[in-house]
Amino acid sequence: MKFKTFAAFVGPSLVMMLVFIAFPLVSVFMQSFYVTQPVFEQVEIESCTPGFPNPTCVTEVKSQPVIGDDGKMISETRFSGLESYRNVLELDRVKAAIGNGSWSELMNIDFWKALRFTLTFTLLTLPLVLVVGLGIALAVNNAVKSLRGPVIFISLLPFIITPVIGGLSIRWLFIGDGILTAAMEWWTGTNISMFAQAWTIEAMMMFYRVWHVAPFAFVIFYAGLQTVNQDTLESAIIDGANRWERLRFVIVPHLMPLIVFIALIHLMDCYRVFEEIVAFSSQSHVISLQWLTYDFLTPDDAGNRAISRASATAMLTMVGIVILLIYPLKRTWRDHKGSH
Amino acid sequence: MNFKTLILAGAVSVAATGGYASCAYENKTPISMLAAGFEAWKAVADAMGECGNFNAELDQEFRTKQPAAFAATPALYQIGGVSNGTITPLLNEGTIRPLDDLVEKYGQHLSPNQLIRIDGKVMAIAMMVNTQNLQYRRDILEELQIPVPQTWDEVLEAAAKIQEAGAVDYPLGATMKSGWNLALDFINMFYGYGGALVDDDNMPTVNTEAGVKALETMQAMTEFMDPEYLVSDSTYVQQQFQQSKIAMANLWASRAGASDDEAESQVVGLVNSTAAPRTLEGGAPATTIWWDGAVIAKNITDEEAEAAFQLIVEGMDTEMVTANNEAAIWLIPGYEPTRLAEGAIETLQAQPPAASYPSTSAMGLMHTAAGNNVSRFLTGSADAETTLKAIEDDYLVSAKEAGLISN
Amino acid sequence: MSTPKALRQSAALRYGSAGFLIFWCLIAAFPIFWILVMSFKSPVDAFASNPLDVVFGPVTLAEGDGLSIMDVILGLGVLWLSFRFAFRHLPEMVAKFTKPGSVILGWVIAVLGFALAFIVVFFSILPWLLQGVNAITGPLGDPFIGLTVQHYVSVWVENEFYRNFINSLVVTGGVVTVSLTVGTLAGYGLARSGSNLAFWLLILALIFRALPHSVLVAGYLPVFINSAEFLRPIFGDAAPTLYGKPYAVIAVLVAINQPFTIWMLRSFFQNIPMELDEAARVDGCSHFQAFRRVIMPVMWPGVITTGLFSFLLGYNDFLVTSLLLDAQNQTMVPAIAGYFNRETTTTDQVEAIAAAVSITAPLFLLVMVFQRQIVSGLTAGAVKG
Repeated sequence: MKFKTFAAFVGPSLVMMLVFIAFPLVSVFMQSFYVTQPVFEQVEIESCTPGFPNPTCVTEVKSQPVIGDDGKMISETRFSGLESYRNVLELDRVKAAIGNGSWSELMNIDFWKALRFTLTFTLLTLPLVLVVGLGIALAVNNAVKSLRGPVIFISLLPFIITPVIGGLSIRWLFIGDGILTAAMEWWTGTNISMFAQAWTIEAMMMFYRVWHVAPFAFVIFYAGLQTVNQDTLESAIIDGANRWERLRFVIVPHLMPLIVFIALIHLMDCYRVFEEIVAFSSQSHVISLQWLTYDFLTPDDAGNRAISRASATAMLTMVGIVILLIYPLKRTWRDHKGSH
Repeated sequence: MNFKTLILAGAVSVAATGGYASCAYENKTPISMLAAGFEAWKAVADAMGECGNFNAELDQEFRTKQPAAFAATPALYQIGGVSNGTITPLLNEGTIRPLDDLVEKYGQHLSPNQLIRIDGKVMAIAMMVNTQNLQYRRDILEELQIPVPQTWDEVLEAAAKIQEAGAVDYPLGATMKSGWNLALDFINMFYGYGGALVDDDNMPTVNTEAGVKALETMQAMTEFMDPEYLVSDSTYVQQQFQQSKIAMANLWASRAGASDDEAESQVVGLVNSTAAPRTLEGGAPATTIWWDGAVIAKNITDEEAEAAFQLIVEGMDTEMVTANNEAAIWLIPGYEPTRLAEGAIETLQAQPPAASYPSTSAMGLMHTAAGNNVSRFLTGSADAETTLKAIEDDYLVSAKEAGLISN
Repeated sequence: MSTPKALRQSAALRYGSAGFLIFWCLIAAFPIFWILVMSFKSPVDAFASNPLDVVFGPVTLAEGDGLSIMDVILGLGVLWLSFRFAFRHLPEMVAKFTKPGSVILGWVIAVLGFALAFIVVFFSILPWLLQGVNAITGPLGDPFIGLTVQHYVSVWVENEFYRNFINSLVVTGGVVTVSLTVGTLAGYGLARSGSNLAFWLLILALIFRALPHSVLVAGYLPVFINSAEFLRPIFGDAAPTLYGKPYAVIAVLVAINQPFTIWMLRSFFQNIPMELDEAARVDGCSHFQAFRRVIMPVMWPGVITTGLFSFLLGYNDFLVTSLLLDAQNQTMVPAIAGYFNRETTTTDQVEAIAAAVSITAPLFLLVMVFQRQIVSGLTAGAVKG
């Protein structure tokens, strides 16, 4: 294919990605090295607010931004180098914590706390999603033909449901005396509070993620199982391979590209875990990297947002994803070289 | 008459009959408003809408949208709904206008309490106040012969007695959901102990005795609370009241009415309210006072501003208050406090008075820093000193980034 | 038919496999089933800690809203019959009464007609009929299970949720159409070009996909709000404010979804033999004509599958739509957040659940209709990964 034709085909898609993703990406990258702040001045101000019976007025010294002649706030941008990254990583505190050999001290630093959870979450759910997805696919493939349709339909439900709604529907089952908590309390005879300690919350979040993503792995695997080469399978049987060996040596290698595909997508999505933190309001116990970014970006009541640190965490998150993706991408590169 | 004119005529007549039903005049200038979405704003927006040409956007993301939308030229909205917290960015960026001349022209009926003055100029028209107050189960306290607690020590004593008697699952409830809610509980308690969060140079002064005491009192409270307190927001606490799971809570005054709602509550008529408890004998109630009100954008024409102000006055009139008396603690003339508003009124009238939540940039940063750190102490992963130090450190980093203190 | 011995399964394996499936189906469906049940109960029942209270709704029943056994039997019967009709007879009828060229129009008319007939039968004829039946069947006609549609009425009528529904349709429709148009072109180009440039473009797309959405979206907001100012030099006074415009949100969602779309479509195109377009080229077609006339007709399974993923993304999005759309153009998912404000009551929560169920229902139908295409589409294409 000539370059010109190629450009014509790929052009519209590329332009959209450049305008709406690459351009913001570059600006995020730049922002992580700069700090923009208003120029403040100290003024003594009397302010009056409702009081009973009469309004209460107080005079106090307040810092407020200087307003320029054009009616806009005067702000200045300065190059801050790696300062935002230093503020996020807090390496001196890390050093101190490692020096003391104290894990809990390390886990009191937001970024490392978030990284710990994000990695655990990603790496624990990945095998679970793959195994559960493959398990369902094999079981459905094994089921009577007439039942497959309804089973596939039910299996897809957790995947298609809006993530926020799915998260809330599971939260409602467990929060307070939600029916599943009540059932467990009845079963064990003790008082259970699922939202009171970190590990139960983490378990619920992982359960939700596997529940939500396993169906995706399942349909892909199920589709893959339809194209398993029957001849290879039969010759394996003739060679006396038992069921496990057939799975291990015929089916899994056939599904390998799909496993890589799902792992790729899953690693990427999981590393940006965010909805779970909000749906299970876990921020006191566990936080994730994207939640950290979001928290820096959410304005507080006074409208402050830590844009530089948000950009720095976003860049660090991306670096993390790229590192995680190196292995699956190498495979894709080999396939790409192999297929042409 | 062809079909199209028929439809047009129909539309006009509907607008004419339905549109200006109970508005004193007809609004000709298109006006739109961005505010938070809750009951009181819905009531006011509906009243404004009766004058026609008005469009209200009650949005949960208003905090993010408002500063940007008001800074645009021309501003995307003429009216903004703010509270003493969220007015800060608009004041800082100078995107709202002083209202003195408009108040003089159209605002004769406004009560002096509604005029929020900053640096001598009226910058906002308040409609309601909100504060936390102690709501309690009258029947349980009477049965156990406990006097209505006035200080946090008394609250904890009463909680111990209730727990002993086993009257409810958990004697206490509190809005300690991590983040904003938890931080506010800490700030209230901290103010109760007479602390100041920052000094005149914006340097933090949290790591003090008041800070330690505030944290310790909060921890003492958690002994009597549902262990899931770090996810309990005001909706959750209100539900616990309604389902008769808790006996006392220092809760938003605007939430009191729900315990008398027959469709939801199992404790109708059993909940009373009193002033927010004090922490120090003879001190101010450990709470902050909040107001909600409307501001008008600067980057719009004077005609629009005038029309917008008239709408505000019309929306916040006595007629609206009488129709929605229970939706809030209104500041507007005509409001009749109900039985459940007593606690709020007592809190507001307390001497020395509770502090009004400050509208400063430093306050916002401190609020976030507290929200992200206080839970460390409550979950036991750090002691009080370390927690307070962490709040100060977090605050310092953000304050430097925001330019509030120099490096 | 006899199965070879080696393929025959032991009873343990068979029961194990069946048991696992049943267990999984329970887990998959239960949370969704449960919010469905909660949405029909009064607030006290919906949040009761005894599951039987939630299912049977004594308080809801006491308020006078309930169903009798006859109601349940006849209601389920009508539902079952209409589903059977929709999936068995409707396709046949469409095939019979439409000409080949106007199949889509035929389906639109058929679906609209069916929906209308269903509403008339289920909501006006059936209740009228049941009134009579309940009166004469004695105990079978007495309400035994509490159920109220009050929350749905307040969501759809009082809170005008249908507006959000229409907005959702606009945004989702736009996302699917644009995403597929742009994506098929790019996917085809990438699949047919063996150059390293194509590979690096794909990797670049993956890196784009890795950027956390929260930082993207927060970056758009000030630009979108002030776009009239930025664009004035180009468009003059007609420069639009992009904030609140559905088409701006569609563009953002399409861009965010492009990496996934082009990866997926590329693998579908790779499975279509090169010889096909080479043959078309020999016949004198340009690349584009070959793409449109020869390749697209065999691509439908892949396009439908990818389209479904785009649909899910557009329909389920919260982050982008909640920040970049104003109240008039708000879609359904962010509209739910409106129920969780600082004064949320228990009733609001149940209404939020009813809204959540309303959002899920169209997804339900969609999967029901396209389920077979998803599986066959994936079988045809995604196997290469």
